[in-house]
Amino acid sequence: MVPRAIKRAFYALLTATGVGLSVVALFLLSRTAQNSEEFGRLHDIILLINIAGAFVLFVLFIGNVTKLIKDYRLSVPGAKLKARIVAMFVFLALAPLIIVFYFSTQFINKGIDTWFNVDVEEGLDNALSLSRAALEMQKRQHLYSTQQVAQRLSQVSDRQLVFELSMLRRESGAREMTLYGSNNTILATSTDSASATLPSPLTDEVVLTMQQDRPFVSLESIENGVYEIRTAVAFRHSGRTQQIRVVQAHFPMTERLSRMANSVETSYQEYQQLLFLREPLKSNFTITLSVVLMLSLLAAIYGAFILSRRLVAPIQDLVAGTRAVAAGDFDTRLPAPTRDEIGFLIQSFNDMTQRLAAARREASLSQALVEAERANLEVILARLSTGVLALESDLRIRNANQASSGILGVDLANFAGDPLPEVARGKPLLEQFVDVACVHLDAGETEWREQIVLRGEVGRRVLTCACTTLPGDDDNPAGYVIVFDDITALLQAQRDAAWGEVARRLAHEIKNPLTPIQLSAERMRRKYLGVMSEDDAQVLDRATHTIVQQVEAMKEMVNAFSDYARAPDMEIGCFDMDKLVHEVVDLYRAQERDVKIVLTSDPSMPEVEADVGRVRQILHNLIRNSIEALDNTEDGEIEVHVSVAEIGGINMMQVKVEDNGPGFKPGSVSQVFDPYVTTKTKGTGLGLAIVKKLVEEHAGTIRADNRKQGGAMVSIRLPLNEAAREAMIAKAPGRAEQRRELA
Amino acid sequence: MLKRFYDNRFRLLGQGLLLAAACGLHMVAAAQDQLQREGYFEVRSGSTALVNGVHLLDARLQLVLSSEALEALNSGVPLTIELQVQVIRERRFYPDALDAELTVTYVLEYRPLSQRYFVRNVNSGDQDSFATLYSALNNLGRIQGLPVVDDALLTSDRDYRVRIRAMLQTEQYPAPLRMLFFWRSQWQLQSEWFEWFLER
Repeated sequence: MVPRAIKRAFYALLTATGVGLSVVALFLLSRTAQNSEEFGRLHDIILLINIAGAFVLFVLFIGNVTKLIKDYRLSVPGAKLKARIVAMFVFLALAPLIIVFYFSTQFINKGIDTWFNVDVEEGLDNALSLSRAALEMQKRQHLYSTQQVAQRLSQVSDRQLVFELSMLRRESGAREMTLYGSNNTILATSTDSASATLPSPLTDEVVLTMQQDRPFVSLESIENGVYEIRTAVAFRHSGRTQQIRVVQAHFPMTERLSRMANSVETSYQEYQQLLFLREPLKSNFTITLSVVLMLSLLAAIYGAFILSRRLVAPIQDLVAGTRAVAAGDFDTRLPAPTRDEIGFLIQSFNDMTQRLAAARREASLSQALVEAERANLEVILARLSTGVLALESDLRIRNANQASSGILGVDLANFAGDPLPEVARGKPLLEQFVDVACVHLDAGETEWREQIVLRGEVGRRVLTCACTTLPGDDDNPAGYVIVFDDITALLQAQRDAAWGEVARRLAHEIKNPLTPIQLSAERMRRKYLGVMSEDDAQVLDRATHTIVQQVEAMKEMVNAFSDYARAPDMEIGCFDMDKLVHEVVDLYRAQERDVKIVLTSDPSMPEVEADVGRVRQILHNLIRNSIEALDNTEDGEIEVHVSVAEIGGINMMQVKVEDNGPGFKPGSVSQVFDPYVTTKTKGTGLGLAIVKKLVEEHAGTIRADNRKQGGAMVSIRLPLNEAAREAMIAKAPGRAEQRRELA
Repeated sequence: MLKRFYDNRFRLLGQGLLLAAACGLHMVAAAQDQLQREGYFEVRSGSTALVNGVHLLDARLQLVLSSEALEALNSGVPLTIELQVQVIRERRFYPDALDAELTVTYVLEYRPLSQRYFVRNVNSGDQDSFATLYSALNNLGRIQGLPVVDDALLTSDRDYRVRIRAMLQTEQYPAPLRMLFFWRSQWQLQSEWFEWFLER
């Protein structure tokens, strides 16, 4: 925060300095442009200050433009509006500045050009020519005088030279006259000034002119505004040596003529200087104007940036606030607004966020209550042994409790949001369930109830199912709630109880008269066999034998029923399954020579925790069942596989008994565990029913099926220990109920 | 056939050399012309002689005005030419010391009425006029017997170097012209330093 404030203060100071310097320097520059002597000396410095000011403004301008472009590209809120405002201001500033610049440069160029009037130039030229002509006359006169003097001096002897020269100077009106001999030596001189210094030797130019045998005449400027005419003439002295001598004379011009000549020359010279200065002056004015306009333009652009920033700042605040609100931050409060329309907008925004915050608090409270209710409901649903499945109107899974997943064998909670028919694909139990449900739902039934039989790998399952439609808008259903319960175990328990009752009654009602029948038959045999004729005795013998034999068979049957009905308490203990299965199989190998029994078992398998008597009975029943099924089969073979495996995270012992007999009748596989259901000529039909009962008492599973290569297969899975048994019970809540009911 | 081929080759080579020579001459002439247009100041020679205890300077300068300077002169703008003379004492461990410095300022001016060039020595006030610019510049470039420094002012056991240079001075002009001259190379007329050891 502090560095930002310092930065802003620095920028403000820089701007103020730049603008202030520029304004002062512009003022001074305008003075120097008028060629003022006072400011002329400072011209360079002032120009430098102006350029520095322009540079500072330019740097600020570049910085602002760069930031604006960056903001524009990043879509910073307000950047587009700022760019538009700046562009508008720049256009507004640029248009008049360009017009002013154009007309000003035109004015400067044309105006300066008009200073140099053609007539004035021509007049000055004429005046100069006239002056030259007038002076030329004088020069010729004085040259002529000098030539006369030279002619006179050529006849004068050296002894009279000084006197003669002075006289001739006075006569000719010269200011100074000097006679030079060979080697530029001064032979004589005469001057009208008493304090005159020694005359200077002949200049190279005069000597050269004399060598060319030409007279020399020139107009000389002695000092400011004073002119004289200098003449020099060479002549041959008539004396004995015939020496070449040069006489040089200085003729003063009259003061009036000098003044006039000086005036003309000065005017002409100044005019020529102005002519020469014309282009630099134009350039200078143009540069000054350009600097002024550039500074003005840069200042205007920078001002546009500042103004746009101020205009856009509240809008940026509003956008930021709106985004914060959109992101869920309702505590956003914008800075204290001004009293204009934007201020009103910000105030309204603050009111709105305040109300939104209050509404959200209330909504949060309500939501918390709803969540609590929902949590309670979920707990209740989770504890229910009844499956509850909530669907959307398009059959997407909205919710499913744990029991529903357990019953249907699919963790439906993981598929929340997915269409139920798609989830059911490839999952036989659920697929059958969905088919039945869809029949009702497609028919538009709002409430329906049905008992559904699902056929799976582990046998069939019977569900009682009830569905209710959730009311929605405009008679469209908001969804469906399907409640279902697995009553397989219950039905089985009922059936088992019924069969137990039947068995008990049969044992009671049938067993009692069997003994008197048997005794009566034996008594008849003993009493009448000896006294009857041989033929009658044979008939009696066969009849009584048949009666006794059939009564024995009936007794066996009744005993089997008794066994089925009787359910002694479980005696759980640890035993070696490998040893047990070898004992049982060896017993049958000894009895049944026609059937080959192959045993596959793992000697290193862990001990099993179960009721050893029941397990032994299971093995006996399964093997006997297979042996009976192989009565009419040649090369009968039974395979017994015993193994331990982890199935669904639970340690299970698996016993699989397979034979190569005729197998189960097609269509009756699901009913093979019911009492009195058999495909064999022998047996009571209770073998597999008892096995199933014993397996379920251990919380295990049993499955029967036909093999692909022919023959039947019965597979049982028993929990390896108590922990596994508990896990199996927890996994199938219906089984727990069944166990409770059985208990 | 082969002879003709070689003849042609030599002829082509000769023509190429001639063309190259012509181009070279043209480039030299163009450079000379450019140099003439740009103008230059050069110190051709310089020497000092101890006369009556005073070191007198003799020097020859080549002063060629640029076309813009010439135009300004003919338009009546006086040109100021400075001759800078420095006497430098050599020191072993320190930078050399400037013991004496002399600047002789000449003003070259064209007078339209007399159509003559005037050269005025600002230091002495002497003035000469010349019919041509050539003779005026020639006079300016011939320095003879200019007293530089009294030998008594110099340390006896030290070595001294004298160096001179000539330059066109633009400081005295009006601001607009000065600004213009600052950016124009034709007004940056200045010779290199010409240096020699002071003989004592």
